Parts: sequence; structure tokens; C-alpha cells
Amino acid sequence: MRTLLGTTIPIGMALTLCLTASCERKAQTQVFTIGMSQCNLGEPWRVQMNADVKTAADKRPNIKMVFKDAQNDTLKQRAHVEEFVSAGVDLIIISPKEAAPLTEPVAKAVQAGIPVIVLDRRVLGAKYTCFIGADNKLIGREAGKWIVKKLGGKGKVVELKGLMTSTPGQDRHTGFRAGIEGSEIEVIFEADMKWLEPDARKEMESALARYDQIDLVYAHNDPGAHGAYLAAKAAGREKDIMFVGIDALPHEGVMYAKQGILDATLQYPTGGAEAIDVALKILNGEEVPKEITLGSRIFTTENVEAGGESIGSGP
Amino acid sequence: MSGELKSIPSLSPAHEAWWREALRNPIFTAAVAFGLVLVLGLIFSGDGAFYKWGTHRDALRQASVYGILACGMTVVIITAGIDLSVGSVLALVAVSFSILSIHWGWSPWLAIPACLAVGTACGAVTGGIIARFAIQPFIVTLSMMVFARGMAKYVSGGMKVSTAVQGADGTYSYVDVPGIFRLIDSRLLGENLSVVSLIFLACVVVSWIGLSRLRWGRYVYAIGGNEAAARLSGVPVGVMKVAAYGLAGLFAAVAGICQAAQEQQGDPETGMAYELSAIAIVVIGGTNLMGGRGGIGLTLLGTLIIGYIEKILSINAVAEANRLMLTGAIIVAAVLIQRRRV
Amino acid sequence: MVTASAQAHADEQQAENHLLLRMSGISKSFGAIRALKQVDFDLRAGEVHVLAGENGAGKSTLIKILGGVHQPEEGQIHLRGRLLRFHSPREAAAEGVAIIHQELSLVPAMSVADNIFLGHERSAGGWLRYAEQQRGALEALGRLGLDVDVRQTVGTFPIATQQLIEITKALALDADVIVMDEPTSALREPEVERLFDVIGELKQRGCGIIYITHKLEEVYRIADRITVLRDGDHIVTARMTELPADALVRSMVGHDLPESARTVAEAPLSSQTARLAIRDFSVQAARRGLRPLVDRVSFEVRAGEILGLAGLAGSGNSDLLSALFGAQRGRVSGHVRIEGQPYRPTSPRAAIRRGIALVTNDRQRTGLILGMNIAANMTLASVARVSPAGWLNFAHEMQLAERVAGDLDLRAASLTQPVATLSGGNQQKVVLGKWLNAQPRVLLLDEPTRGVDVGAKQEIYQLMNRWSRAGHAIVLITSELPELLMMSDRIIVMHRGKVVAGFDRAEATQERVLHAAMGGAVASSE
Repeated sequence: MRTLLGTTIPIGMALTLCLTASCERKAQTQVFTIGMSQCNLGEPWRVQMNADVKTAADKRPNIKMVFKDAQNDTLKQRAHVEEFVSAGVDLIIISPKEAAPLTEPVAKAVQAGIPVIVLDRRVLGAKYTCFIGADNKLIGREAGKWIVKKLGGKGKVVELKGLMTSTPGQDRHTGFRAGIEGSEIEVIFEADMKWLEPDARKEMESALARYDQIDLVYAHNDPGAHGAYLAAKAAGREKDIMFVGIDALPHEGVMYAKQGILDATLQYPTGGAEAIDVALKILNGEEVPKEITLGSRIFTTENVEAGGESIGSGP
Repeated sequence: MSGELKSIPSLSPAHEAWWREALRNPIFTAAVAFGLVLVLGLIFSGDGAFYKWGTHRDALRQASVYGILACGMTVVIITAGIDLSVGSVLALVAVSFSILSIHWGWSPWLAIPACLAVGTACGAVTGGIIARFAIQPFIVTLSMMVFARGMAKYVSGGMKVSTAVQGADGTYSYVDVPGIFRLIDSRLLGENLSVVSLIFLACVVVSWIGLSRLRWGRYVYAIGGNEAAARLSGVPVGVMKVAAYGLAGLFAAVAGICQAAQEQQGDPETGMAYELSAIAIVVIGGTNLMGGRGGIGLTLLGTLIIGYIEKILSINAVAEANRLMLTGAIIVAAVLIQRRRV
Repeated sequence: MVTASAQAHADEQQAENHLLLRMSGISKSFGAIRALKQVDFDLRAGEVHVLAGENGAGKSTLIKILGGVHQPEEGQIHLRGRLLRFHSPREAAAEGVAIIHQELSLVPAMSVADNIFLGHERSAGGWLRYAEQQRGALEALGRLGLDVDVRQTVGTFPIATQQLIEITKALALDADVIVMDEPTSALREPEVERLFDVIGELKQRGCGIIYITHKLEEVYRIADRITVLRDGDHIVTARMTELPADALVRSMVGHDLPESARTVAEAPLSSQTARLAIRDFSVQAARRGLRPLVDRVSFEVRAGEILGLAGLAGSGNSDLLSALFGAQRGRVSGHVRIEGQPYRPTSPRAAIRRGIALVTNDRQRTGLILGMNIAANMTLASVARVSPAGWLNFAHEMQLAERVAGDLDLRAASLTQPVATLSGGNQQKVVLGKWLNAQPRVLLLDEPTRGVDVGAKQEIYQLMNRWSRAGHAIVLITSELPELLMMSDRIIVMHRGKVVAGFDRAEATQERVLHAAMGGAVASSE
């Protein structure tokens, strides 16, 4: 309901604007219209991405945003791109549901002279202006390195994995294993909790029943880490175990770090703010790199009030 | 003629093997199936984890939410219907309970009845449509499943409703987890029984009383046994259907409250596909999908069977793919044990 | 009507017409029941041969044997001179035998052309040739003088037209032995006429038609010959002119009246207002376009009286009772009073509240819950009585069940055994017990002794007598005429939805009742 109202009114306004505004780039005082197509707004992380884009755009008076929600339907998303092209927007930002079906519409948009920034998930080939995304392998590796440091090179760790048929799950797993390689960290128990908190809790209960000593739990997302924490708390062992998660949404993972529930959480950046920065550069005629890999931040109980610490390489 | 009954010789042979007769009793066969699962656990004990009481307490805890859903589902299935919406109603109530308790600070004495009313209302609407327009329960409850999920997302704004409250200026402040959440997610009897397990057992008792001791229970069995004959005997079929689905909605609400307490948040995406687990539990317990027979005792055993299978696979850290295959195989075995060979 | 010379001419014609079908010495049993005993039947080209008999006489068994559904134990079938044995309906159809049942075998969602060629489509290498089928269909319909759009779906046509399409389908199979089972039960007058015209066409083409009907007026319009079956025996085969209506009816009837257990019902208390009074009661059919199931029926039943509601299949008597109970789907109109108070039949629940009970004619489908035990079935219509404040009182329930079981002399090992294990007679007693427990004032009984053994039947008769003595008003439907005559104080006869006759106990005879039920004119009573 809200999103429907939220999109139809701005579209109406945007269309009127597009018809009256000139299509050629002029002075910086000109207002640019940017169309954003999000593959779905069911995942809180994507809601956060849109929120980040909006926050960044609101700071620039010369940007008008048009948001569209594809509700996880690739056909709808194709239509979004085509609609943006015929409306003559100045730039398109897209977070595609799937690579293959969106490749051609994006290519056509670029051909029509509209730059396209691809966020978080890729399209195939190279016919886009810029790809901005985070690197789950890097995040997993950084998590592993931090854990090695924190445990002093040895310890018993439980790994609670996200859906292992998805790329983020696989990357956060392989990255982590690479990060702890060479150390004496032992993964005594691992299970697929499918990103879900209740499932993580169940698996943690089993781990607790089976092992008297657990030093740390590494979960592929914050809800998983939280579920593991609750299981440990019910068993009275939360003080003996450390918890590490990934995502670091401000009202979830970061909050858990502030409350001391998580010892560390690594940010999986949405790239929303960066997208607006890059968009403005493009609209001003500057060159931008083809690929921008976002860095991450790590929030620990010590540094969370200070806003965390950045890790990994960034632009 | 006085009330003296004439007896006729029994139709079956006089000496029937006791075990053959016992196998015809569905409770017995369900118990046997559960016993076999326990034996599996004793063998594959996950480094001795199965011998600890904590494992059993946890197995019961993790199965409780599904079990609560299965209680309502049992009633609906006995009327020869089905309810695919209970997972979504669970989510809607989880979200509502979180908003009321965490964000609006309502007392549990207000929040809980309000949430139970929401769940019951969803169920009653479904039952009303089924009864009034004679549409297949599958379709109507499927629609409610989608609708309730949408409502959950709308009410929650698409985000999890947690102890992080967003102020008007966009910053977050953090409130404590409400006492009622902590209470539901705690343990009793010296750490030996989870409160949600107790709630589940209470639902079992209430359903059992209803189905076997109350008038509406008799009506429910009659409608499932032969709806035409029931209607022609004056059973209020329409009202009873609304009541049956309303009850399923009520139990879904109870499950939603428990779920929210255990997650310490209201997640609009929670409860996905829980209805399928509930149906599996009822069927594995031995209640027939055709309606007219079965009962809550069977559902309790079905909950334990499924819960323990999951637990055994979990403590043995079985890989996900193998888990799915093994679960499927064990379910088929459990059902075969219970085939009625009358 | 038919002059002597015309008859003689017709005789010659018939003698020349060759014999299409001869069934000789056919016998068939189902378990202990002998449905057909050495029955002969033959059919000539160009004739309409009516097959008459009461329910259970063996007509449908004979037709099913002809149609390949059953195999006879004895006897032979010669079709066009060849000795044949049909093992399946497909075989019979392939040999040119077409059976048109009361329930049409058309597929409502398919087009007329597709239906006509169903089972023998015109195709080339698996590809259907629609144009050819449509042309073929138009041609076949044209031969019968029908003009319909063959591309339209069959379901959109009225029943009468569908029936004619079904006949066309039979012809498209090149059938020349055509069996029609009660073809006019759902038709109105003008449509019946059209059907008879078509039958005339078929005769001209040399087809032989076996026509099953209960209606005297039809028999005497189209029959060339008539064969009567009774209790599986072949009674008579004669030309229509040689078998007038009363002789026909007499040969159809003829059971011995059972002597035992016949008690004279007490005279009803005539001073009271009627327990049940209906006036201009009508029930529309659920499907549109059909004639009303019940057409402005009026009668009264007093306390202690048993009213027999006679009628053959399609007469509307069962529909009348179920409409009074609030269980009919079609629209109901008219006035009903129970003990002088107006009553609107809205639902079974409302009917039970007003003290009406309905014993349906299909206890397994609509009377019992087979999965439940005897006691639960017996209290099904009065659950509120055994559940004060909503809590089931099992002791009270068992008490009620035991008392009623004793009254009915129910034979069962225990009242907690499932009803599915009981015999037919005992199951019927459970149904009666259920209604007794509901303490009704008016009892509507639809075939209360169907499928019940002789001993139990007697017990049920005695029960009915006791009830009427106790002051209940009873309406009784039964297709067994002796039973009807024995138990009823008054009989009214229905035919095609209307009341066509009424008899007092004294003046009722089986012949009179059957005659009226078949639509014959009723002589004024003495």
C-alpha cells in the first residue's frame, strides 16, 4: 500500500518533470531524475538499501528519485527499465533479481544514452556503466581473521551457515575458512540454518548439548547469531561464548553489538550511498571505474559507539 | 420389549492375536512409530547428547510451535478440510504482538487477547467463506495465506518489529525486551520444561477436551464423517465450519505469540511453510485427511515424532541434503507402520 | 383409433420386418437374488417395443445384459441372426446397440459435433478432422429434422435438445437397436411430441426401439408391442391392441399380500386440527428449464394418521418430503402449517426444531455416519439433549441409545460398535432410533424398509403402528405396493409432480394405485 502510493505519485511527478526538462546535460543547477528498480522490498536489507539511497539523494537538492519495486518478478523489472527509458530519466540504478533476463534491457538503456549503475547483483557481460557491490568472500575472510586474532590463534568454533545453495552463503563460508587457515581454530559443529533465527537456535541447542566447550559462534547473518545467543542464554552459557554475525543493519546487528549480545558484526554494505555519489560523478561527465567493490566495516562491542572500523579495500 | 440387548457372536474369530488387534488401534501404532524414533536416537546419540535431559527438553521446545499449529489443523482436518493459512496468521500475530508489546507498550493482559482475537478473526473469515459459498477449503485458505502474509508485511512496514524503535528523526532507540516475552521464553520446574512446551501441552489438553468431551467435538466428527447425513440430522454445519477454522486461527495466534517471544521480535517473514509441517504432523500422527476420524493424541505423537527426527539429525550434524532425504524416508516408514490393515 | 384393416396391414408388415434381436431364456442372479428367470424378449426392425414392469421387475438387468454390462448365466442373444455375447459396452456399441439412459452420457463442456463423434472420432493419423466432424454432425442431425449449431457446447442446450443430440449420437454409431430408458421423465409436453416424431423417423429407417416407461399414456401412443416383467419372470408379450391398460396393470402387479403382522391402524382423531397441512406446495427443479418437481400439491395429515404418498420414479414424492424438511435446493413455494402454525422449510435444523423428522431413502449416503458407533448415530439429531451446557454426557447418551435399541429390538453386540458392521435392517433401525430420540411430531418416511430383510420389515411395520397409536402423523413413501396398502390409512398418488388420485383405505387396490401412478385416468370411486 505504502510503496504503491510511494511510487505512483513520484512517477506522475517525474513524468511531468521529464517532459518539461531537457534531456541534455547542462549546468549543475539542473535537476537530475534517477530511476531506481529494486528487485524486492521483502528483505529488510533491501529496504535498507533503498533507505540509504534515499537518504543520500535527499542531501542533494538536484536529484529527484523515482523508486520502483519489482516484487521479485523479473518481467516486472524488465518493464521498469523500459519505462525508465521511455520516460527519459537521466540515470538508472538497478538491483536485479537475476542476471540473464535483465542483461538486455540494461544494455538497451545504455545504448539509448542512459547510464546504468548495477547494485549488489550482477548482470551478464559488460554493457552497463558501473557495478557496485560488496564481496562476501572478503567479508568472510575478514571475519575469520578477526576471530583468529580474538581467540589467540586457537579455539573451538561453531559455524552456523546461511542457505548453502545461495552465493552469499557459499562465499561467507569459503571466505571464513580461508581466513582461519593456518591457525588452530577448530570448527567442531556446522549446520545450515537457512538465514533463519529459529533454525539457528535449534542447531545451537544441539551444539550445546553435544559440546561442553564452545568458544565462539560464527553465524552467516545477525539473526542467526542472535538465535544462537538466545539458545546459549537459555543454557546459561552465553558469557562463555562469543558471537560473530554479518549484515550489521543499524537496528539489528549494530544494536546487538551495542547491547553486548554480539561480540562483532561485519557490515554487508548496501552500496546505496555510494551509488548516489557515483551517479553524480557520471552525471557531471566524470569517468568512473567499471567495478567498485565496497569495503566493509566491523562493529565490535569496543568500537561500536565510535561507528566501527573499516576493513578491506574500498574506492 | 424391555431394554435387553441380544448379542450375536462376534464376527471375528474368537482368539485374535493381541498384537494384531493392538495394531488396529491408531494410538498404539503411532506410539510404536515414536518408540522406533527414540531407538534411532539412542543409537545415533550424537556423542552422547541424546542421553542428556536438556536435549529432550529442547526437542520438545523446538517442536512446540509446530505442535500448537497442528492442534488447530487436527480439528480442521477432521472436518475433512484443510488450512493453508496458519503460517501466515502466525506471522501476522507475531508482528502484531511485537508492535503492541514493544512499540506501544501495552500490558500483556490487553495485548494477548487482542492478538488472539486477530488470529481467530482470520480463521472465522476463512471458515465463513467456505461455509457460505461452498468453495474448496484449499483455495480459500490459500488466499488467506497470501492475504495474511501481505497484512503482516504491511502492518510491520516490511521490517522486523524489534526492540529497536525508530524515532521520528530516523534514529533508533532501544527498549528492553518486554517481561511477557521473557516469561514465555523461559523455563519452569528447575530448568526442565520450557514454558512454550507447557503452552503446547495446554493446547493439546484443550483440543482433546473439545474433540472428545464437548458437543462441538461430536459435531466436528459428524461433519467429517458424512457431511450430508450430518446436515440432514440437524447438525449446524455452517456454524461449525466457522468455529473449526476460527479455532485453527486461534491456535495460530497462540503460536505467533510464542514465536515472537522466542525470537524477541515480530518478523513478517516468519512461519513460512509452517502449515505444511503442521499438516505433516497431523498425517504422520495417523489422522486421516479424508476426515471423520483421528484425534489429538495422535497429533501429540506426530509432533514428537517429527520433533525428535529433527533433533536426532541436528545433534548428529547431518548435512542438509542428507537431512531432507532421511526425513522423507523416516516419514514414509512411520506412515507405513500405521497403515490400517483391518 | 386403429381400424381393423390398418391393424391387419401392420401385422403383415411386422411379419415381413426381420427380427433384429432375440434374447431367449435369459437368467441372471446377484448373489441370492434371482433378477431374471428364463426371460424371452425379441425386437423387430421398425417397431417400438415397450418393456414394462415395476421397480425390481428386472427391466434394467435385462437392458444391462443387452448393453454388455452384465453377463447372463443362462440364455442366448441373437443379433441380426448371429449368436453374440457382449463382454463390454464397447462391444455392444460396436454391434449397433445403443442405450440412452436417463442420465445422458454427453459431455456438457464439449461441442455438439465432438459429442456426436465421441469414441469414434474422424481423424487421420491421430489428427482430428473438425470440419469433417461438423459436417457429419449436421447431416446426422438433419436426418432427424434437427437444426442446431454444432459448434456450440452441449451444456448450453436445454435437456430436451440434449436428449435428441444423444439419439443422434446413437444413430451416428449406425445403431439400429436403440434402448430408451424413461426418456420423457424430464420433458414438457411439446418436447415429448418432438421426441415421438423422431421415434417415428427412426422406425421409418428400420431401427428397432426398446422403450422403457411407467407412463400409460406413452405406452398407448407409441407402442407396437408390450412385454411385461414381474419379479424376474416374463409375464406376457403382446401387441398393444391386445393388451388394454387394466390388463397391463394387472399383469404388472400380482404379489400376494403378506398375512402376518398386518394390524389395523386405529382411526385417527378427526376432531383435531391437522398435524401437517400443505396447500399449493411447489418445488422447482434445481436446474433451470425443467418442469417443477412438485406442482401445487395440497394435503393434510392428522395426528395418528398414516398417509401413503404413492408415485413412481420421477413423480416428485421424494422431492416433496425432502422439501418439507428444508433439504431441497430448488425454490419452494406454497403454504405449510404444523399443528395450525405456519412453517417455512428453510433448513433441516429448523424442521427438526418444529418436530419434523425425515428418514431418507438412502441411509448409507444420507442417513448414517458409518465411521461412528451406534449410540452416537442414535443421538445425532438430538445431541443437545445429551450435552447439557455443551458437555457430552456419555452415560445419558448410552441410556437413551439402550432404551431406543430395546424398543426397536436392535441386534448388536454392543452399542459402541461402528454402524458399518450392522446388517441393513439393523442399520435402518439405528436411523429410526435417531429420529425417535429427536421426539418428532411429524414423521416423513421415504422407503423405510428398503434393503431390509423380511423379519426386520415386520418389526418396522409394528413400530409404525405403535407410533401412529401414540399420536404421530406419518407420511409414508414406499415402492412396494402391498406395503403401501397395508400401512396407509389414506393414499394419495402423484404423477409428474401433481396429485392425480386419492384413495381411502377401503377403496384402494394395487391396480388402482399403480394405474393412477402411471398416469392413467382414474374412474370415480364408488
